[in-house]
Amino acid sequence: MEKQFTIKNPQGIHARPAGAIMKKAAEFANAQISLEFNGRKVSAKSITGVLTLGMKAGDIITVSAEGDQAAEAIDAVGTVIESVLD
Amino acid sequence: MFGFGKKKKTISITAPITGKAVALEQVPDPAFAQKIIGDGIAIEPEQGVLIAPFDGQVIHLIDTYHSLVLGHESGLELLIHIGVNTVSLQGKPFKPHVKTGDKVKKGQTLIEFDISQIKEAGLPVITPVIVANGDVVAELKANTGSVTANSNELMEIVLK
Repeated sequence: MEKQFTIKNPQGIHARPAGAIMKKAAEFANAQISLEFNGRKVSAKSITGVLTLGMKAGDIITVSAEGDQAAEAIDAVGTVIESVLD
Repeated sequence: MFGFGKKKKTISITAPITGKAVALEQVPDPAFAQKIIGDGIAIEPEQGVLIAPFDGQVIHLIDTYHSLVLGHESGLELLIHIGVNTVSLQGKPFKPHVKTGDKVKKGQTLIEFDISQIKEAGLPVITPVIVANGDVVAELKANTGSVTANSNELMEIVLK
């Protein structure tokens, strides 16, 4: 399953918000959580993967998950994606 | 094991910046200090030059030039983040010498940065050097104290 979220952080997803996304994703140990943007798909649990997407304010990201608590994982990671961490 | 099994690979990470190496806990940013992003060490820079600590590839240079991820041939990924909150400077104190995808040689200049400009903006220059994919690491030993770029060992990492 998957769902779309919009980046609201004016500075985009730099190191700190990327770390927050990764930390949230890691809470779902038995789910594979992916972020997809611009034709690339990465694991939400990889800081490098999250950073290499180069997500900017206004970009729409597809979050997908498989495994345990997939729906909860998508919503939890999506909430972090849409939050503004300075 | 009979001694001819798979030998664990050890990677020596040379200091990429001249300065003083300190524990990650000293970084005034909880994402780094609490090792949320990964384990490693930080350098309080004395010279505004970041060099490649090993032969590898620039996996990602952030478009505001204050941070990059370097890949080692072993698969190890190193994230270097110059200063704290420096994303807000929108690239101004930073002069990149590489771009995403570039192959780099140990000792090659990656980014030059203006320490006084960063400090004048009221931001710390302390630079975390961390393993971005900790799942490949069995053991990480970090050295603190004065380091010279391309000369002293900053970390020794044993891979799984």
